[in-house]
Amino acid sequence: MNTHIAKVFRYELHRNFWRRGFLFTTFGLPLIAFVLYFGYNFISNLNRDDQPASESASTGNTGSSGLGNSLGSVQEMFATVGRVGYVDLSGQFQNPGSLQNFVLRYADEPAALAALNAGEISLFYVIAADYESTANVTLVMPRLNLAQASADPIRRLILNNLAQGVDRNVFNRLLTPANIKEINLQRDSSGQTTSDFGSDFAVIYIFALVLMLSVFTTNGYLMQTVIEEKETRLIEILISALRPTHLLTGKILALGVLGLIQIVTWLVAIVLLGRLAAGNTLQTLSALANLSLEPSQILIFLLYFLFGYLFFAAAYGMVGAVSSSMQEGPQFAVIFTLPAAIPLYFLGVFISTPDGVLPTFLSFFPLTSPLSMVMRVSVTAVPAWQIILSLVLLALADFAMIWLAGRLFRVQTLLAGQTPRFKDLPRLLRG
Amino acid sequence: MTTNTAIHVEHISKSFGSFRAVDDLTFDVYQGEIFAMLGPNGAGKSTTMRMILDILKPDTGRIAVLGAPLTEATKDRIGYLPEERGLYRNVRVQEMMVYLGTLKGLSTADATRRSLDLLERLGMLEQAKKKVSELSKGMQQKIQFAVTVLHDPDLIIIDEPFSGLDPVNSLVLKDLLLSFKARGGTIVMSTHQMSQVEEMCDRLLMISKGKQKLYGSVTDIRQQYALHAIIVEGQGDWSKLPGVARIESISNGRNADLLHLQPDVTPDKVLAAIAASQEMRIERFELAVPSLNDIFIRVEGGQP
Repeated sequence: MNTHIAKVFRYELHRNFWRRGFLFTTFGLPLIAFVLYFGYNFISNLNRDDQPASESASTGNTGSSGLGNSLGSVQEMFATVGRVGYVDLSGQFQNPGSLQNFVLRYADEPAALAALNAGEISLFYVIAADYESTANVTLVMPRLNLAQASADPIRRLILNNLAQGVDRNVFNRLLTPANIKEINLQRDSSGQTTSDFGSDFAVIYIFALVLMLSVFTTNGYLMQTVIEEKETRLIEILISALRPTHLLTGKILALGVLGLIQIVTWLVAIVLLGRLAAGNTLQTLSALANLSLEPSQILIFLLYFLFGYLFFAAAYGMVGAVSSSMQEGPQFAVIFTLPAAIPLYFLGVFISTPDGVLPTFLSFFPLTSPLSMVMRVSVTAVPAWQIILSLVLLALADFAMIWLAGRLFRVQTLLAGQTPRFKDLPRLLRG
Repeated sequence: MTTNTAIHVEHISKSFGSFRAVDDLTFDVYQGEIFAMLGPNGAGKSTTMRMILDILKPDTGRIAVLGAPLTEATKDRIGYLPEERGLYRNVRVQEMMVYLGTLKGLSTADATRRSLDLLERLGMLEQAKKKVSELSKGMQQKIQFAVTVLHDPDLIIIDEPFSGLDPVNSLVLKDLLLSFKARGGTIVMSTHQMSQVEEMCDRLLMISKGKQKLYGSVTDIRQQYALHAIIVEGQGDWSKLPGVARIESISNGRNADLLHLQPDVTPDKVLAAIAASQEMRIERFELAVPSLNDIFIRVEGGQP
């Protein structure tokens, strides 16, 4: 590497790595995600530990007889909620039946309240007098506790009572009438791949966000450093020592490495969180468990980051070269940022028809292809030829963009005190 | 071009669109001298400096710096301080000096050592770890100069070194420039402060609208514009002096007389006559050599 490029590279790498913004987005955000995850688990465990010891013992002794106990999730459900009470004003549910170890009946609300205050139960339900016609049930908790705010215990009690005498298998099917697997033939004509909108949305959204944030954070820094050098007029001292293109190249390489550090850190964090979250009761976190990454997917992800980064680095370098203030730069950069985010506006289309006309077209068009292809690859098997063609087109666009940046990143533009007018651009590009 | 020529400029011209910024300039800068580039705003001084530094390419003509056309290696032997200059604001002083020093060919260790030496000489060692934005304007200007000479160049090119400096910092900078010259360095500077040129510079080039107007040693140019006259202050009737053709009164704050001499009379003869006279007392006696400022105004105003 040219020594000037190497010196600029080393300096920009060091300087931008220690930016508070970079440290926060790269390491702070994953750290916050982990803290939130462990915090959630810790609080959940604390609430569980708050339950009386007798309850823990009794939970372990649940009998095997009875319709309700035949459902494997009963113990798990009460493990989270703890022992509960209920007041039946309708007169239909005299006996908790097989749930007697978990559910206690009280004659009236004051009695249930006293038991709640004494810590015998963690919450109680009041079944309304007109339950049969309205199905109204009130949940009373000592304080707001999201982990316990569940209608499942009383639902189970009511179902147990209403379904007395019903065959066990029939009852189970009434509880879970259908385990649906979605097969979207438009998405996968072979019919082999199942899909789930919720988890697909999380996967596609997280990967798109990671790519967008990484590309635009690092390139934002690139633009800032160029504008800062122009604004402070340090640029003339710099280009008296080295060629402008060497300065730009050093910056692009340094911030590219920082982008890679950022993206790899985030991917590792996402995979770790996914593993930790598997089977977690919080729905959003359990969706992370679907974020399994194949090596080929990681490779594609990194390739699109690199080629996409180069494209936008050249674009942002050009914006920096023509901007004369920190306020102006981001305004010009929107010309590139907004079209690049187009795939995000069509998130639904990408989830439902990742091989449709629009997602396919956007994954070939260089300005949108990094985001589009990463979104497609995260939810479907994209044909190899499409990936190769898309990468080749993006690489060609990179060359064109870098050439244009080289034409603009020159003395006349850099030393100009004012932002060139749009009509001046062809002249500046010609030199 | 002689062996002691630091910069050789030969018939260079530069246009921006239809505007001719530099028009057929030719001059030399000798090693170890302070060379001034003078001219009104927009005369082409900065463009000429940028061409010497290879920041801009001349449309025609050729330039040799330190004995050969400018190469990347030669650039490391030059220090440059442009007119509009700045520093990274949120970077620590020493860190920035080391970076800019390494871009000029120093190793990180040398750049670190030299930056500390220079900061100590400038009395700014305590500021080494401070961010540039925390420094006063005067301190920032000293740092800018320190960056220019950090790599111990053979030649420094400074555009308007004294602009914006208060008298104390002007003096500090002047001393730094003179000590650089004393160590054998060559300085090219542009300035509007004629008194600084008279005090510091050996030779000058004056340009206007891109064209050369004056070129040569400061002393020669002043002599060239000198009148055959003397300025005197004191008591006595100067018209009685032999060889005085006519007397002109000068009143720029102090009352003095300008004595125009006859062609065959020299100033020392007049001085001897005053000394021999019992009726005359002299408080000031000097040759009527115009200041560079007067010459600048005369030349720029189109007077011969």
